[in-house]
Amino acid sequence: MISSYLSERTSTNAQFFDELATADGNIYPHWQKLVNAYDKLGNEGLTNRAHEVMQLLKENGVTYNIYGDPEGLNRPWMLDPIPMVFSQKDWTLIEKGLKQRANLLNQILQDIYGERKLIRSGIIPFEMIYNHLGFLRQMDKIRIPGKHQLVQYSADLARGPDGKMWVLHDRTDAPSGAGYAFENRVAMTRVFPDMLRENHVRRVGSYYQTLKNTLSRLSWQGSDDPRIVFLSPGPSNETYFEHAYLSSYMGFTLAMGQDLTVSDGYVWLKTIGGLEKVDIIIRRVDDVFCDPLEFRMDSQLGVVGLMESVRQKKVLVINPMGVRILENPGLMAFLPKICQHVLDEDLILPSVATWWCGQEKEKQYVMDNIRFLMVRKIYRSRLNRSVYGGDLSEEQIIQLKNEIQARPHLYVAQELVNFSTTPSYINGKLEARNAVFRSYVVADTDNDDYEVMQGGLSRSSPDKGVFIVSNQSGGISKDTWILESEGKETHHLKPTPIIKQIQNIIPSRTGEHLFWLGRYIERSIYTVRLLRIILKKYYETADEKHLEGDLVITTLLKTLTAITGTQPGFNKKSILNQSKKELISLITDPHRVGSLSQSVQSFLNNAYSVRDRLSLDTWRILDSISDELSRMKNQASLHQINRNLDNLIIKLMAFHGLNIDNMTRENTWNILNIGRFNESARNTCIIIKTMLSEKRSDDVERMILEYLLMTNESLVTYRYMYRSTLEVKAVLNLLLIDELNPKSVTYQVERIDQHINKMPDGNNRYLNPIRKKLLEINTKVRLYNAEQLVTTDKSGKHRKELVLYLESITSLLGEVYNLINEQYFSHTQNRYGFVTTKLPEV
Amino acid sequence: MKYNVKHITKYIYDFPASLCHNIVYQIPSAHPFQKLVNFDCEIDPEPTSLTRRKDFFENEFIYFSLQKTHQKLTVTSQSAVELVRPSWMDINPGDTPAWESVVDILHTTEVLNDIRQFYLESPFVPSLSDIKDYASESFFPGRPIMDSMLDLNQRINQDFTFTPGFTEISTPLREVFAEKKGVCQDFAHFGLACARSMGLAARYVSGYIETVPPPGQPKLVGADASHAWIAVYIPEVGWLEFDSTNNLLVNDQHIRVATGRDFGDVIPMKGVVYSGGGQTMDVSVDVMQVE
Repeated sequence: MISSYLSERTSTNAQFFDELATADGNIYPHWQKLVNAYDKLGNEGLTNRAHEVMQLLKENGVTYNIYGDPEGLNRPWMLDPIPMVFSQKDWTLIEKGLKQRANLLNQILQDIYGERKLIRSGIIPFEMIYNHLGFLRQMDKIRIPGKHQLVQYSADLARGPDGKMWVLHDRTDAPSGAGYAFENRVAMTRVFPDMLRENHVRRVGSYYQTLKNTLSRLSWQGSDDPRIVFLSPGPSNETYFEHAYLSSYMGFTLAMGQDLTVSDGYVWLKTIGGLEKVDIIIRRVDDVFCDPLEFRMDSQLGVVGLMESVRQKKVLVINPMGVRILENPGLMAFLPKICQHVLDEDLILPSVATWWCGQEKEKQYVMDNIRFLMVRKIYRSRLNRSVYGGDLSEEQIIQLKNEIQARPHLYVAQELVNFSTTPSYINGKLEARNAVFRSYVVADTDNDDYEVMQGGLSRSSPDKGVFIVSNQSGGISKDTWILESEGKETHHLKPTPIIKQIQNIIPSRTGEHLFWLGRYIERSIYTVRLLRIILKKYYETADEKHLEGDLVITTLLKTLTAITGTQPGFNKKSILNQSKKELISLITDPHRVGSLSQSVQSFLNNAYSVRDRLSLDTWRILDSISDELSRMKNQASLHQINRNLDNLIIKLMAFHGLNIDNMTRENTWNILNIGRFNESARNTCIIIKTMLSEKRSDDVERMILEYLLMTNESLVTYRYMYRSTLEVKAVLNLLLIDELNPKSVTYQVERIDQHINKMPDGNNRYLNPIRKKLLEINTKVRLYNAEQLVTTDKSGKHRKELVLYLESITSLLGEVYNLINEQYFSHTQNRYGFVTTKLPEV
Repeated sequence: MKYNVKHITKYIYDFPASLCHNIVYQIPSAHPFQKLVNFDCEIDPEPTSLTRRKDFFENEFIYFSLQKTHQKLTVTSQSAVELVRPSWMDINPGDTPAWESVVDILHTTEVLNDIRQFYLESPFVPSLSDIKDYASESFFPGRPIMDSMLDLNQRINQDFTFTPGFTEISTPLREVFAEKKGVCQDFAHFGLACARSMGLAARYVSGYIETVPPPGQPKLVGADASHAWIAVYIPEVGWLEFDSTNNLLVNDQHIRVATGRDFGDVIPMKGVVYSGGGQTMDVSVDVMQVE
């Protein structure tokens, strides 16, 4: 498989530098072992491994969101089984260069928000800074403790035609990808353990330890156990997976802006147990979105008052706000000079050739050569995309030139680098693709230096000869291997610092998602169970067009309407006569509130919002539930759907079982169960009510009772306990007050109470309002009088007493929900507005 | 001249609010021709936290937050200032340097960035080519800068109609220019755009001015208002202030509060309130001359 790569290398791809072989087709020594291994694997072997990698990432729930694409949420993460490879020799230089660059940028940052000597002396042109939207004047003279103001840094690098590494971009404002880099390595280690071992690939773990260590030493209060919050824009952000993944891996609390509030100058996390003080915010929200009071007023992602809290030194934000100024590509043109001036050294890693149009000569050059240059604005934003002059029409060129002429200092142009190709696995074979490597650098406070991740995230273009690579535009990621020279295992992991056990803090919003996760899984399970019973019965019914006469099936269908909350539904004759259509809609229509599809989707959405709280194996189950759901989506045959339902119930129960097995018995578990039992108690009441509200003839009633027990999974228990024919009072006993039956209302209410008891403020000397309400329900359930409840009204048909009784219990359960909401989740109330300012008028 | 200023801002929310954060720019600044004798800010209900700070442009501002449930918020700023006649009143405009020479000096690294930053565009004052055309009429080659500015000031005053309620904060400068209507803030922003388009450093000044009632009528309480004008930098003279709303070279009747690139840097009061609905706002300003 290598031979075809090499032959293309010497013929069509000779124009580029290639990572694997020289233009004559000679393999570089550091690739030799890998090449042998790939040859040994052969096409088929590699295809299998590639498949395995993708499967693993998918099962682990590694996803990526594409903006502006309705189908773009939770796209599977793409990983090429062929890594980007660096020899030790190359790497030594890259590492040294990155440290130098991080150091340099750190000094520039300090100067820009400090004395501004570099600007005053003209080494950095003043228009390039003062006109940059990332120059946040609010951050002037504000520092974080220690010499590293730039804590995290990333650079995108590529190898130019001369074989040297070039920096394409500097990323300082919330650089992303370190979590994906880790997941990539995890997957590669699983699939190619021998290759990693034989090539002495350096490990990436130390970077994460240093990050954690540095952060935990940063706090203003000198606390050795700071509360660190990972501020994410939320589940629709492109890299949300990584936010959840990194926070749970690093032990940070994942939060969104709405989970935080500023009072007394401090930042507080709103948790189910009240407010918890936050010491450090590691942010993935762009700086100008961090505080709507002082920066962009239209931001919904920030924390009002955060800037003031920073000024008061009551919280640390990492990277500090204002660092986006360093992403200014105009700076690249001046870095060699600044490096000489500041560090008295030559810049090790050159940047891509850059012309800042704020200078007359440079502007003229750009104007003359615009067709061969990448033109970008000094401030990167989603609206300011860079453009390649060669792609523009005559008209567009004129327009662009006019824009540059009007505001020259806002534009830079850069050379389009022909960066190197590296083997990529494309459609079953190895092909040369241009690749970019993103490195990760973090301040290492203990060693007073920067540490570079021994690896990183590389991305290659899926198409041939394309240099602009990003995940948004469909790039494929690659693991990055730094090969250690044989026998020299110089790089070893630092001893892991002992991390203090911190109490698991649950933000209120997370709590609310957990609660609904519990409710939706129960709702889905009840719906599936009832559906399976209905479908079975449905096949036995000869005439599906005229169901009216069949009291058993109509009762079942009406029960389905009741628990899905889709009234009038089967209570309407016309719908009953088109039962199949209604059934399919209730199962597969994702837009219908109450449908199975919608419940399962809500279950998955809530799970996604708390993904940092769920174990890896749980993710694999969620993934397979999601698969089952999409298989069911366009089914029109009830027979097929029935098989989907069989699979679905097993998977839903597996989710359940896994949580029972591995979830620690703390508040995550408590809230999940409170949600579950609240839902199941409610469903039980609704099912009993719908099925037994009318008195039927004895044989019909017996059948209905049997189905009632089946829907509540209590038929076996009943048979075992009573060994008699089915009888209303006994069934009610079992489903309402039997303490030992986990499906009885009293058992479920009891369980809610037990979980509340373990929650913050749940175990007082005086019962809190939630527990009082639960006591009221339980008393009501236990004081039930079977004789009275089963009696019918004068007509002898309706069990009015029973209906009223069950309705009062459901309504009390609703009140319990309101109280829980008030006690634990209500601080999620987050609506705010701006006070209007009036124009001065004279 | 001595003045007492009382600036009251009242908010009434439709629903009770649990929390609010606010930033207030109402403290008169220290200035070569202005002395702040006294300042006091009263906030009702009493804020949970309050700090007084200086911003990037050396303006003093107040940050406060309120963490108890409230439906009304009143901020009363009272200040006493003494104004003296600025030295520029004695300058003969014809004796000032040609505007181009000022531009040349500004564009060297010799001049402090604190000054140079004010010839750049700012969020509310973008550079627009037709504004430059408008401004150029006042800036013919070699004309003394103060002459040019006074001419520009007068033209803006004549060409624009003072129309309260026509513009709001979000009205873009382009529209103000097209309609030639607005309030003092729009006049000031337009003046800034003109001066900057020529390459001059110009900044926004917010403050107060006493309004004089029509002859024979008593002055109404609260009828004064906050005001805005611009200052243009002339080497060796400093920041000369021009009020195009009133076609004036600023003398000793303009009380300066804050300076910035534009209105956005010095909004008299802005805030975020956690409440479910809208709000009504009432502002009153009294400027009283003291003996």
